[in-house]
Amino acid sequence: MMIESSNLAPRLGIFARVLAALFGGYALAYCFTAFLSVYLPLIRADRVVYASLGCFAVWTAAAIYAFGARSATRAWLVIGGLALLLGLAAFLPAELGARP
Amino acid sequence: MSLRQSMAGLHTWGGLLPIWLLFVVIFTGTLACFDKELERWMRPGLQTPGQMQMNADDVRQWLKNNVSEELHAYWMHPPTTREPYWQLGWEEHDSGERGRKLFAPATGEALPDTLGGNFFFSLHYQLHAGTFGMYVVGLAGMFMLVALVSGVIIHRRIFKDFFTLRPNANGQRAWLDGHNLFGVIGLPFHLVMAYTGVAIFVASYMPAGVQVAYQGNPLKFFHEVAGGYHREELEQPGGTPIALERLLADARAQWDGGEVGWISVHHPDDASAVVDIRRRDPSRIGSPQDTLSYDAATGELLNVQQAGTAYRAYIWMAGLHMGQFGGSLVRWLYVALGLAGCGMLIGGLQVWLRKREARGGAGIALVRSLNVAVLGGLPVACLGLLWANRLLPADWAMRQTLEGWSFSLLWLAIAGWALARRGRAGYRPLAWLAAVLALGLPLLNLLLVPQGHLLASIGRGDWALASVDLTLLTIGLLCLLWVRPRTQREARTRLAEVTP
Repeated sequence: MMIESSNLAPRLGIFARVLAALFGGYALAYCFTAFLSVYLPLIRADRVVYASLGCFAVWTAAAIYAFGARSATRAWLVIGGLALLLGLAAFLPAELGARP
Repeated sequence: MSLRQSMAGLHTWGGLLPIWLLFVVIFTGTLACFDKELERWMRPGLQTPGQMQMNADDVRQWLKNNVSEELHAYWMHPPTTREPYWQLGWEEHDSGERGRKLFAPATGEALPDTLGGNFFFSLHYQLHAGTFGMYVVGLAGMFMLVALVSGVIIHRRIFKDFFTLRPNANGQRAWLDGHNLFGVIGLPFHLVMAYTGVAIFVASYMPAGVQVAYQGNPLKFFHEVAGGYHREELEQPGGTPIALERLLADARAQWDGGEVGWISVHHPDDASAVVDIRRRDPSRIGSPQDTLSYDAATGELLNVQQAGTAYRAYIWMAGLHMGQFGGSLVRWLYVALGLAGCGMLIGGLQVWLRKREARGGAGIALVRSLNVAVLGGLPVACLGLLWANRLLPADWAMRQTLEGWSFSLLWLAIAGWALARRGRAGYRPLAWLAAVLALGLPLLNLLLVPQGHLLASIGRGDWALASVDLTLLTIGLLCLLWVRPRTQREARTRLAEVTP
């Protein structure tokens, strides 16, 4: 099927949202899990399990947001930005995460 | 674009993409609610009730006599009401190859191999494709979660529509009502099943926590989280193993008469050999992880497992998904809600089709063909597997392989036929086939399985076994009802539905 030039922009937008939902959403869930695995006030094993069990809700919410956001750019900014913040907070203090 | 519109697009296309895979997962998951009853049905040797003669040490002796390779581990499970046989599994040390055998407790004889009810369970969570299949099913589960949430958002009048069914309305409207009805009835169940389903393999799907808290060492994590016991191999020959029955008696005493579940022996030929005995408690949603670890030679109690709270929460979620608690009433409820899930998928597909059939569009023939291939093909292929189990001689070494082939080839044949007809195939021929196959099985049992046919099982009040045949009869009759010759008036209304 031919893609008309007037259709190209919205199609790119949808493609960007699909990527944001799949990969951005997983990245956000990953960083969220890492963040809570470091900062929950529990012992190490419990931090990891509780954080991990919540990650699918985060991914689902991110996927919904990726399509609900006003624009694809906004979706990527919010999801990517949050993931970056949580990831930095989780991975920078290496000692803190490994505490028992 | 409004939120509702964008969610409608997400629901339509994000739902369509994985829908046939989700049908396979939900349909086989529904069957797997009764996997143990199917397992028994597929092993007629088990159906004679009898006294239990065999004990754990006899099972170990069989392994010693029949498997010569060095073992990494072996595990066994004593007979229960739903699984009245000893189960034995083992893994070889060098090749990593695994074996499985079941034994009739009355005679101690090894039962002939069959794919058994386990086939449906395995298809449900990994499509018989190992780790890769597990990831594919997990991703489908995420798509299901997103489809459920977006479906709720676009559903304007969720309460009012629940009481709306317009079977005589035009096709699309009626199917939409059906899709909503099944979706809303099953919503809490479907949400919980999709979520707990992906959560079971959370350690594979989401390694982030292990990465930051355990330096990416999953073994250390598993050990710490479950509170289990592990002893490194000493590379020295082990002493004479202590009788397993003595350890089982000790475990029962430790639990004030609690039941024994899985018994596993790790590196049995090494001096470091450990016997783990896990408690079985079907009254709990998640059977508590109270494993006792013993030295295999001296019988010394080495460790009493104390799982942390988070791990118990995980076990509870997994237990909720697997439905092994609370008896057959819970499992029938799971079956009903699982079927509501299948109904939701079928309704959704029909809405998609009806909406586009009127104005034409790409992909209609493909979607129709896939519908017949999967929605019609899978159930018929499952019936075909049961036929293969009954017709293939039980003592053939190739039986398991041939059962698998008959399932796969039958499904492939139906799929090929559906694709070749470019979506014009329709379900009626398949419904005929399903009716013949389903009604034929209980009749075949009358001829072939003197201890297991319907009259015998009902006669001795064995409803678990009888329910398999009774369900097959019901399925067969429903299919017949569907394909029955219609009166002219009915045919006209049907025609009006098909050609709006």
